[in-house]
Amino acid sequence: MPLTGVPAKDYLNRDNEISYLRRLADMRQDGLAVNVLLLGTRGVGKTELLKQVFRDVFWEGREVVPFYYSFKTAALKSSTFARDYFTRFFKQYAAYVKKEPLLVDDAGMSLNRLMPVLSSAGLDWMLDIADAFQEHAVSGDLYGQILAAISAPAAAAKRGGRRILVMLDDFAASEDLHEVRRGDAPGLASLFEESMKNSLCPHIITGSPAARLEGIFSDPSLRKDIERMQLLPLPEDTSFSFFDSLLRKMHITCEMREALGLIRTVRGNPLYLKNMAKAAWKTMKKELREKDLAECYCLDVLDGETAFYWSSVLSEQIRTKGLLRTMLKLLMRRLTKAGTDDEARLSQVLGIRDAELGQAMEILDGNGLGSHADPVFEDFVRALYMREIEGRSAGEIRELIGERFGVQRDSSRFEMVIPMTDQAELVAARAVEQIGKNINLEPDLLNYIQLALVETCINAIEHSGSYEKKIYLTFLSTPEQLEITIESPGRPFSLDTLRESAVEEKLASGRKRGWGFTLIRKIMDEVRVERVHDRTRVTLVKKIRNKEALK
Amino acid sequence: MTTSPFQVTSRLVKDVAIVYPRGYLNNLSGEGLVNECGKHARAGMKKIVVNFRETDLINSIGISFLLNIMEDLQTAGGTLCFTEMKKVHLDTFEMLGLTKYFLFFPDEQATLQALRTQGG
Repeated sequence: MPLTGVPAKDYLNRDNEISYLRRLADMRQDGLAVNVLLLGTRGVGKTELLKQVFRDVFWEGREVVPFYYSFKTAALKSSTFARDYFTRFFKQYAAYVKKEPLLVDDAGMSLNRLMPVLSSAGLDWMLDIADAFQEHAVSGDLYGQILAAISAPAAAAKRGGRRILVMLDDFAASEDLHEVRRGDAPGLASLFEESMKNSLCPHIITGSPAARLEGIFSDPSLRKDIERMQLLPLPEDTSFSFFDSLLRKMHITCEMREALGLIRTVRGNPLYLKNMAKAAWKTMKKELREKDLAECYCLDVLDGETAFYWSSVLSEQIRTKGLLRTMLKLLMRRLTKAGTDDEARLSQVLGIRDAELGQAMEILDGNGLGSHADPVFEDFVRALYMREIEGRSAGEIRELIGERFGVQRDSSRFEMVIPMTDQAELVAARAVEQIGKNINLEPDLLNYIQLALVETCINAIEHSGSYEKKIYLTFLSTPEQLEITIESPGRPFSLDTLRESAVEEKLASGRKRGWGFTLIRKIMDEVRVERVHDRTRVTLVKKIRNKEALK
Repeated sequence: MTTSPFQVTSRLVKDVAIVYPRGYLNNLSGEGLVNECGKHARAGMKKIVVNFRETDLINSIGISFLLNIMEDLQTAGGTLCFTEMKKVHLDTFEMLGLTKYFLFFPDEQATLQALRTQGG
């Protein structure tokens, strides 16, 4: 359903990514771009980004045909997959040419019924491609059939003169393509190699978990000609704008200060924000306060859309209730005990047989669930553990999750703007000194944080190239952490462009520069760089451990 | 952290020049420090000690200037020592993997003693 994305006006802060992907076909043909592997955490908006790109390319009339295919809902038996892939491509091609969006998702339109439609659109040459595909099907040539399906976009680009932008969603599931039963034909995904090589049909590929996707692209046949695009979570203000736009559609109002706790908990994940807005609607309240949002959060994590989403992810992998219990015990152990137990010790502590434990660990780690730094997923696991293992009541669980939600709210926020002039960074450093003193941070730790802040400001001053000549800072302190954001207009900057060179290499160079971000990363616990509208935002996070706060 | 306007002064102790940068060592003040050290090097001093007692903050550009001073002095066959550095500054050098390229001493006396032992 590629034409059913959120309205473009509500799809915020992805302008750069959309603009790049929309032009991918032009750039690929000119040799300026390769295929794109779109990476990002679950729920960060990869599918939505593809839908936005699809819609833009579909309507803008640049003679580029968008083709979207999701492996999530696909039948993965090879022969069925081949026919489905082939038919969907033909439908979307015809929809583009005839500018009939309904054709894209017309489930009742079989390949045979599509033929007259293609013919009426002057696409007779497509019938030849379809005949070749049918021949493989009739002769029972499975590989020929799959190859014909996968190479249909390339063949159409060659015959029809229109380039094809191929968007493959949930591509990690392509690993499960099989002949008769799962696992009987590993490596079928590598058949995409030829199609991906074709400069007339660039591919954008995405899916979760990233590690599994990267695993597929470690195959030598696929790893050439691919670049990685990382989709980051939404920044706080954009998260609120998105959340607010969803609430307004349901005639609900909410101030940003009331929503800040929720936004920080869901860490700019659009899927969660959408789910929380739906949960808010179910409360029937017209004006939301922080406590209402805490309630929405608990409901959603326990029984709402978020719980449903994560349950589906787990149930894709876990077939028995016994294994689910093992998995929950294992996940809870990892959440509550830092450090890694070896398998023998875990088996002892959790009272689980080695074989079952091994199976659970393999599923968790293989699907990127074992090392999650997602507080919402963690709360989902806690809630499920309390229900399935501890047998607690829903009310009890909501209360316990609600208590955790409240813990992070004790925060102070300061904002300042400094000019891009000599030594203005010292003003910011003095500000963070006082903020640190307010929360009793140790002087030594404060010195390091000041240094990291000074370095970030200098970087903004040196590299922004903006006429505005201002740096916007926010300082947010909670008992657990100090978070500083430094925004500067002007040229984009990304951590990916930084090359960490060896000390010896720097020493041998004339200017001996480039120590700033090395220092910042050594000092801070988390460093993020993102583009927010026309500004580059660097976020520095320092976790406050007990001994670092003065008593 | 209180940051005074940058100043640099120096004094001579026999064949050793001791330089005192004061304030914030950055791109602007770094030049001043390079000039002060260069002045002594051109006068034939082979041993230079930088005393950071009154240096409030050293940013990464300041560090690159210190590396340039070291390189110039080493080329001329000289020795550069650092003394009375604050913990945060020492840690900064440590974090960047630069400690092995400099000689650090807790105070001037220990520095001068070491340089005397070194001879030359």
